[in-house]
Amino acid sequence: MKYLDLAMNAASSLGAEYADIRIQKTTDQVIYLRNLSLKSANTSVLNGYGIRVFFGGAWGFAHNNVFSDEAVLATVKKAFDIAKLSASVNKKKKLRLAPERSYIATCKTPVCIDPFDVPLSEKVDLMMEVNRSMLAYEGIKQAVFYLIAHKDEKLFASTLGTRLDLTSQFIDPMIIATAIHDGDSQSRTFDEGGRAVGWEWIQSLNLIEKAKQIAQEALIKVKAESLGPETRRTLILDPNHLGLTMHESVGHPTELDRVLGWEADYAGVSFATPEKLKNFRYGSEIVNFVGDNTLPEGLATHGFDDDGVPGQKWHIIKDGILNEYGSTRDTAMEIDLGYSRGCNRATYYYDQPINRIPNLYLLPGTKPLTPAELIADTEDGVYIQGRGSFSIDQHRVNFQFGGDYFWEIKNGKLIRPLKKILYKSSNPEFWNSCDAICDERFWSPFGVVNCGKGQPSQSARMTHGSAPARFRNIRVGGSQ
Amino acid sequence: MKIKDIEKYIRKHTNADDFSCSISEIESHETRFAQNSITQHIAGPKLDISLELSFGAQSGSCSVNQSDADSLDFLIKTAEDIACLAPADPEYMPSTGPAKLPEVQNCAPSTLNLKPKAMVEIVQKSIDKAIAINALVSGMCEKHLMKTWAFSKNGFVGCNEGTSFGHSMTLKKGEVETKVSYEAKDYAPFDLDTEFARLQAQSEALASMQSFEAQKIAVILRPEALQELIWYLTWMMNRRQSDEGFTAFTGQLGKKFMGDKLSLYSTLKQPAISAFPFSSEGLPSQETTWVKNGVLKNMPANRYWAQKVGCEPLHIFNMYIPGGKTSEEEMMKMVPRGLIINRFWYIRTVDMKAGELTGMTRDGVLYFEGGKVKHAVNNLRFNEIPHEMTRRILALGAEKLASPSAIVPTALIDNFNFVDKTTF
Repeated sequence: MKYLDLAMNAASSLGAEYADIRIQKTTDQVIYLRNLSLKSANTSVLNGYGIRVFFGGAWGFAHNNVFSDEAVLATVKKAFDIAKLSASVNKKKKLRLAPERSYIATCKTPVCIDPFDVPLSEKVDLMMEVNRSMLAYEGIKQAVFYLIAHKDEKLFASTLGTRLDLTSQFIDPMIIATAIHDGDSQSRTFDEGGRAVGWEWIQSLNLIEKAKQIAQEALIKVKAESLGPETRRTLILDPNHLGLTMHESVGHPTELDRVLGWEADYAGVSFATPEKLKNFRYGSEIVNFVGDNTLPEGLATHGFDDDGVPGQKWHIIKDGILNEYGSTRDTAMEIDLGYSRGCNRATYYYDQPINRIPNLYLLPGTKPLTPAELIADTEDGVYIQGRGSFSIDQHRVNFQFGGDYFWEIKNGKLIRPLKKILYKSSNPEFWNSCDAICDERFWSPFGVVNCGKGQPSQSARMTHGSAPARFRNIRVGGSQ
Repeated sequence: MKIKDIEKYIRKHTNADDFSCSISEIESHETRFAQNSITQHIAGPKLDISLELSFGAQSGSCSVNQSDADSLDFLIKTAEDIACLAPADPEYMPSTGPAKLPEVQNCAPSTLNLKPKAMVEIVQKSIDKAIAINALVSGMCEKHLMKTWAFSKNGFVGCNEGTSFGHSMTLKKGEVETKVSYEAKDYAPFDLDTEFARLQAQSEALASMQSFEAQKIAVILRPEALQELIWYLTWMMNRRQSDEGFTAFTGQLGKKFMGDKLSLYSTLKQPAISAFPFSSEGLPSQETTWVKNGVLKNMPANRYWAQKVGCEPLHIFNMYIPGGKTSEEEMMKMVPRGLIINRFWYIRTVDMKAGELTGMTRDGVLYFEGGKVKHAVNNLRFNEIPHEMTRRILALGAEKLASPSAIVPTALIDNFNFVDKTTF
């Protein structure tokens, strides 16, 4: 597109040390059905461009939704002027950018059936049937289905000579059944998170059967008992629960901008400071976390990040030791890393990209181990599936998690369902208590589509994953 | 196209039986700084045109961010196509008609006239002040100019213009980290010297920290902390969710559900707080008493539910909690010991039906005993039920602008339920 060259030439002429333009069109379709009432069927399109200028050790970022030569040139000028203002403050503490080469590439999320090509009526018919199948159970008072389809189409150019044409998309179904019984109300959710795939995934999920299952489980849950006072117990956590736990307790603490204090005023900082690199025992020896923006079907697999850095795969925690961070061109140079791991992403065209969690997952165990064998090997514990309440301090140390579905384990057997369970732990205690991880046959991904961070606030996406894993001696109990 | 032309275009080109549309324009300037440098600096306009339309009881909606004819054609056609394919909604409500809207003043000239250069000077001074005391400062300086125009086929027309200015600073000196922030529609009362002096005083008060175990203990919640819990309480106060049995508010309307000392309003009479003149459904904002001396008087309800159960549709458009006359010093003498809380962080719902929340303290916790502050303590986790907590309010202090849409006092609350501690 002509605006790419126009903007980059203008930025260079003004004296930018580096500049890039990201023309981005984001299309979302959100369908929300509650108790057979279609509460929302909305398509939104956000189309515009953001221009970053680096000058004098500082950034300026300006955005616009008007496509014309005049508007593009004015936006370049605005970004440059802002960068100059920033530079006047950064005289004593200039930012630097890690070296990067130029790329010319086209990348696209592979999909067989584009969700945007599926007629709305087909989607709503499926959602209605799912709703009906849950409401057919006596005691289910609320049946909800959210369906999100999302597509980003980006053209990126930089003064390094990079030219990228990137299309990424995902789909995210979520089904909730809420039961009421004897003065209590409890929900059960089908939630595998978002996935960078097409409608074929929805077709493969057999959502009607999934809906019946969660309705039945909601009815079991609302009649279940809670645990008594908090005691130390064993936990077995499913991948669709562990996804959020690793997001909060490993993903965010290893974002380099937090480590540097760049999020101190809002999202918080990190206990995992640079002197701990290569020597800090974050987890037990079986704990290996990989950052991987090349992961097939991963929500952060875009080909390149918004610095124009290609997707990479690296160990963030290796054999339990803090190994490396997720970084961007500017944060990397603050610890003299000399290269970026390609974690700079913006949500919409009007967002300046920031350091985000990559696709991040726990490697499966290396010895054969099934979930059934793991439970059979556990004397006294709680098995947790699905996401619940989650909260962690701003240094990413102390946390408390709930879950969606709970079973008590006694002498190697699931003996009774539970509800209102919370566990409390902290870094590095929690990951050091991990003593078993099921093997790769049981590894599954979990996509987070709404990771909030930054000022102004942005919502990013990334995929986590694990096999079921066991944690010993964790504080577990019922809520109030 | 300009806003009026967009309205004309949509009115002329849609074939729908009914429609409502809102157009919002925002012009923002945002300077973010961290560890004594600017790390982000953003400026630009945003536009949102959202159209919801219906054929009979079949509805569809679309939004775009461009106002040329092609984009508006796409907007209308997409919403119409969705509506044609959507099933009839048993809860469909037609758009609202003409309404008399309250006069509000959400725009402040001082904020309108604030220039980027002046904002960067504020940032520079913030950093200079931190350097002068051998500290690091991180924060945000931002201003927003907002205009919203809404209209419907049935005759509703509403407009709002607003401004907001925000400046926040987190100071790190040694191991101590604490924050102050100013957020309001009006930039004029902002004084950096006052804000930084407050920040420095907070920081100095936190200099000597001692380990403190989680327990039930009296707390003095400063306005920023109290408002966070009460916002969660208002989100759980939804009339329909309550009537359908999903929240702790079920069956509590008209009853003394909260503590005597709590009254809660949405108001048009407090000039310092912003008040959007109409709701997303096209209903005028009006003086509303939600809680009066602990009695649950009203609950927010949309038009569909209000019609179904025979109540007035109401919406929360800001929060006003009248304060009392008790100073922090007097509060510290009312209980043997307790904690002073500046803010909370990462609040989440633990149990919707019980109304239970969890969260952490942030930006400084002070321990007091015998009427005096003794030392700072580590941050703590709470699991607490806000409506029950209001029954333990012992005293209220002076009310204060806690955010652009909330005026809230300091509160002394007994037996606040801390359940865990962290390392800092």
